[in-house]
Amino acid sequence: MMYVLITFAPLLGALLAGFFGRSLGDRAAMLITSLLMTLAAVLSWVTLYQVAFGHSPAHVELLSWIKSGDFAVSWALQIDSLTAVMLVVVNTVSCLVHWYSIGYMSHDKAKARFFAYLSLFTFAMLMLVTSDNFVQLYFGWEGVGLASYLLIGFWYHKPSANAAAMKAFIVNRVGDFGFALGIAGIFLVYDSVTFEAVFSATPDYVDHTFMFLGYEVHTLTTICLLLFLGAMGKSAQLPLHTWLPDAMEGPTPVSALIHAATMVTAGVFLVARCSPMFEYAPDALAVVAVIGATTAFFAATVGLVQTDIKRVIAYSTCSQLGYMFFAAGLSAYPVAIFHLFTHAFFKALLFLGAGSVIHAVADEQDMRKMGGLAPHIRKTFFMMWIGSLALAGIGIPGVIGFAGFYSKDLILESAFAAHTSFGEYAFIMGIAAAFMTAFYSWRLLFMTFNGKPRAPRETMAHIHDSPPVMMIPLYVLAVGAVFAGIAFYGPMTGHHWEEFWGEAILILPVHTALEHAHDVPTWVKWLPLVVSVAGIALAWQMYIRNTELPGSFARTHQAIYQFLLNKWYFDELYDWIFVRPAKGLGRIFWKRGDGQVIDGFGPDGISSTVLKLARRASLLQSGYVYHYAFAMLIGVAVLVSFYFYAIGV
Amino acid sequence: MHDFAIALPEIFLAVAAMAMLMIGVFQKPGSDMGLVSWLGILSLAVALVLVVTGEGDNVSFAGLFVDDPFARFAKVLILIGSAAAIILSQGFVRREGMNRFEYPVLIMIATLGMLMMVSANDLISLYMGIELQSLPLYVLAAFKRDSTRTTEAGLKYFVLGALSSGMLLYGCSMIYGFTGSTTFGDIANVMQGQEKAGLGLVIGIVFLSAGLAFKVSAVPFHMWTPDVYEGAPSPVTAFFATAPKVAALAMFLRAMLEPFGGMEADWRQIIWLISVLSMLLGAFAAIGQHNIKRLMAYSSIGHVGYALVGLTAATSEGVRGVLVYLTIYLVMNVGTFACILAMRRGDRMVESIDDLRGLGKTHKGMAMALAIFMFSLAGVPPLAGFFGKFYVFMAAINAGLYYLAVIGVLASVVGAFYYLRIIKIMYFDEPTEPLSKPIGMELGVLMAVTAFLTAAFFVVPGVLVNGAAVAAGSLFP
Amino acid sequence: MILPALAFYLFATITVACGVMVIASRNPVHSVLFLILAFFNSAGLFVLLGAEFLAMILVIVYVGAVAVLFMFVVMMLDINFVELRQGFLQYLPIGLLVSFILLVEILMVVGAWVIAPETAAVAAAPTPDPALRSNVAALGDLVYTRYVYLFQAAGMILLVAMIGAIVLTLRSRPGVRRQRIADQVSRTRDSSVEIKKVQPGQGV
Repeated sequence: MMYVLITFAPLLGALLAGFFGRSLGDRAAMLITSLLMTLAAVLSWVTLYQVAFGHSPAHVELLSWIKSGDFAVSWALQIDSLTAVMLVVVNTVSCLVHWYSIGYMSHDKAKARFFAYLSLFTFAMLMLVTSDNFVQLYFGWEGVGLASYLLIGFWYHKPSANAAAMKAFIVNRVGDFGFALGIAGIFLVYDSVTFEAVFSATPDYVDHTFMFLGYEVHTLTTICLLLFLGAMGKSAQLPLHTWLPDAMEGPTPVSALIHAATMVTAGVFLVARCSPMFEYAPDALAVVAVIGATTAFFAATVGLVQTDIKRVIAYSTCSQLGYMFFAAGLSAYPVAIFHLFTHAFFKALLFLGAGSVIHAVADEQDMRKMGGLAPHIRKTFFMMWIGSLALAGIGIPGVIGFAGFYSKDLILESAFAAHTSFGEYAFIMGIAAAFMTAFYSWRLLFMTFNGKPRAPRETMAHIHDSPPVMMIPLYVLAVGAVFAGIAFYGPMTGHHWEEFWGEAILILPVHTALEHAHDVPTWVKWLPLVVSVAGIALAWQMYIRNTELPGSFARTHQAIYQFLLNKWYFDELYDWIFVRPAKGLGRIFWKRGDGQVIDGFGPDGISSTVLKLARRASLLQSGYVYHYAFAMLIGVAVLVSFYFYAIGV
Repeated sequence: MHDFAIALPEIFLAVAAMAMLMIGVFQKPGSDMGLVSWLGILSLAVALVLVVTGEGDNVSFAGLFVDDPFARFAKVLILIGSAAAIILSQGFVRREGMNRFEYPVLIMIATLGMLMMVSANDLISLYMGIELQSLPLYVLAAFKRDSTRTTEAGLKYFVLGALSSGMLLYGCSMIYGFTGSTTFGDIANVMQGQEKAGLGLVIGIVFLSAGLAFKVSAVPFHMWTPDVYEGAPSPVTAFFATAPKVAALAMFLRAMLEPFGGMEADWRQIIWLISVLSMLLGAFAAIGQHNIKRLMAYSSIGHVGYALVGLTAATSEGVRGVLVYLTIYLVMNVGTFACILAMRRGDRMVESIDDLRGLGKTHKGMAMALAIFMFSLAGVPPLAGFFGKFYVFMAAINAGLYYLAVIGVLASVVGAFYYLRIIKIMYFDEPTEPLSKPIGMELGVLMAVTAFLTAAFFVVPGVLVNGAAVAAGSLFP
Repeated sequence: MILPALAFYLFATITVACGVMVIASRNPVHSVLFLILAFFNSAGLFVLLGAEFLAMILVIVYVGAVAVLFMFVVMMLDINFVELRQGFLQYLPIGLLVSFILLVEILMVVGAWVIAPETAAVAAAPTPDPALRSNVAALGDLVYTRYVYLFQAAGMILLVAMIGAIVLTLRSRPGVRRQRIADQVSRTRDSSVEIKKVQPGQGV
């Protein structure tokens, strides 16, 4: 019952706000959705306590959904530790974002619609994480995609928002296509789509292969790679990352909820959920690790030069997701989920803090037009500091630290401890990314809050801290950003991680990254801190002490600067490879194929024939009774004659 | 003696109809039909409860009457359809000078006839059911007696109905002559002994199915449909398009499959032909129509064709498909006619498709509901109408009737044209003179409920499909 | 035994011939008269079968009531039957063709009629010997027991017919003065007669 309430409270809120928003009024719609979300959030913490710490996973069967031959799918809620952690993340952040939005969206006209979308998104996300089979998972997967589309394009009068929404949807489609193929493949191989059946049967398929274009292909690897393709799309991994920065066109609370804490982590969740399959597909794991590590490095480099405050955080998210993936790719799933958990808090905090800043300077997002805000919005300033400290993973090894310190350092330690070439690659990339993370985080802080005010005078005059309804969610998240690591480090990733996760996550004994992560050399433990501090120091040097430095650096190394500023030219590359040829091809098909050939012979030809037939058919209806009676008689006569012919006398 | 208990719903409905009649007669002359209507709906509801509480597969009245899951499934649909028809009529009859208590009473008695049709286990009781159903329908078609259009419709319906009854009886007498019995079970037993059905019996079946095809308005026995649908008062048309269609099709299924179940190879061609003709005519002839009621008439002809695809398959799966189809068809049609009945300017009803112009701007809710129904009637997934077609075509394919399935799919593509045209007119054409508001509570609620059912069917199709499978199973011992 | 056979063929021939004449005659009154003759001959056929009750019912109900009613309707309605027949000739050839084909086919079916031996066994209700059980009693045996369901259904149909006739035709026209017997009977002398004393030379 409690689980049903957790999952369906947001749906109820969405329906109420969506369909009756106008009659309820904005205020009521906002309060109802937010209160229902709060209820769900509180209950999810209870669930986490019961399920993960009380070791009592649950399975609730709601309804039979599709039943066709061997193919049976139910609506069901599978609540195990993995789900419980996700429930906490999703519902807590969503709840805080709801409350925050009451303040943030106070000047917007379509509040009820916004809250309906938010709650709808949360519901879809909950469907995704509570699913007990791939089809329901896919339902939630597409549901969050839809809600994300609606929310990115929420300000639909802005062309850039529309374009961003479509881009997000289309890029995700590439991944989803792989995901759908993966699910189809699973059904083909296993004859089932429920997790339980598939995972328990997986060890039997370790050596299963199939022929494709004359090559013998390992089945499990193929399926896992297809699933991972879906995860790449949703979690914005190379090369399907391009939509995430553009998605910042949506309102900032949306970025905090969807593009930091929940939806983009769905890919990580998927890989962790499917750990019983990935474990038997080492090649697929290697791909996951390499893609994750590369993304972590790539996104961090791009983050160095961005000037839009939200885009910096977006690239940071992309990079942190890369961390989670390479952790998962090295079989350290608990660490990946642990980082997901802590990251949700501090990244949501950063986004909401950024939102607070943007709110304060009248919807300006360019950091070059900020500066010197610290004295005016002191509370937000502190919150951003906490978030950045957590993101950079500041803390003293073996003593204490911010949330990110525990999870991120553990990821790096796992990478080191994996003792494979992929592990080493991930470790190096991770350390480099950690340095850059610290740099761009403090670049953001210094550019925004310190130095001389660069905003127009009238804006500066109005700057003020946000109202309590926006600040309190920040405080709550800040608590999470500080303490989430220290509180859950032991249970989630300590030596007894198996007790916490139960059967939700499987790690084969041969994969020892997590086991050995706690026993790495001391220099490995200290290295992340050192590079982070170095990054902070460099940022201080460049943006506080000698503010001429960045400009001259950009001038002297024009090539690198442009390369980074244009995001490694990915968008241009895609435009060149996919978009333009596709458009050209489309034009040919449209003008030549469709317009001249198909329309000529097909629809236009057929439709004129159909219309002619239709006119004749209507003419049959003369209105005279004896015509009608006669038609009936002829009908009978024809049938009778037919039988005489067919059977004979 | 006879077991009267299994006919309890019918007996109750008969008594209730007579009681309503008495109440109506002793009311003050010219008083509103509201009281009788709502009592009628209540009686239909009680009958529904009595139907659902029935159990097992029982035969009574010397083999004339059967109560099995199939009959109960059809009866539930019929009772719901009739109740919906009475509700739909409320606003209309008051505005159009049809406000007489006989109206709901006639619907109730027609419903009684339908219940008897689907429970008929004998050619004689089949005929009795048909007549008891048809006679009130003739009267209802001509109910607005001051309008020449409706009286013409009623008269046409009556004359052609009499002709079809004649054919039906002729077929029955031949079947009786060649088998020596009118009871379905006995006919089936006689047929089992013989290797091949004689020509005489087959000709008898031809006449019988001609009479039945008239009742379901399948081509070429459909000619009355467009004229009667257009001419009859709109709520009566709504009634014609729902409950009697369900009853007649259910009866058609039983009359073909129970006595002649072992010889479907002999009669399959008949159903094949009328099914194909109906699908094609329904698709093509509807395109040129301007009156929405006439359009719905052709639409219903087409849909009967699709439903008969399931009968052509003559398998349990096929019957399941037909029952699912009928349920969905009933819901969609109630909703569509609720929309048609809401089309008026002031006190004047309008029926032209062009009057829907710009409905998407003036009546958002109604336009959305109508769009859902049109998409569903066209068979666009994931709406309910798609599943109805899906199940019957699936059954046809599994029975090896590939041509039939292909023709059906092609016909539904052509048919989609005129459904989509309505949506286009509603949303993309500029409004000329907007329709009046408000549309009325009953109509609004019916629209909302049916639209919801149509749109949300795909979430839990299992309930309906399983129920239909059980019902279908009872025709195949 | 030749007499019953002769009678049968006589009645049957006249019945069929009358049926044709009902359709063929130009004057609708003649049509109805032929219809009545056809009923009479069918009644004769019933008598030959030993079903004298049905024969009498046929004469009383169909001849006595229905056909006479038809006659009145035909005579009272002013319908130009010649006009209705226009177009008849136009469709005659194809109509004849179709009906001829159908007729031949049905004749062939009936000609090939073989009653399976099993069919006699399943006959629903064997006819009792007329000597032992009277017509009326034998009918009653079936109608009120075995076929009570159909009997009641037929009753409902008649009820609907009655309702239908009333619904479609009965109308209370305003301004029509009707005879109200109850009012007339319940009138008393006091309410209708008043005595006025008339003074001489004044008038009322």
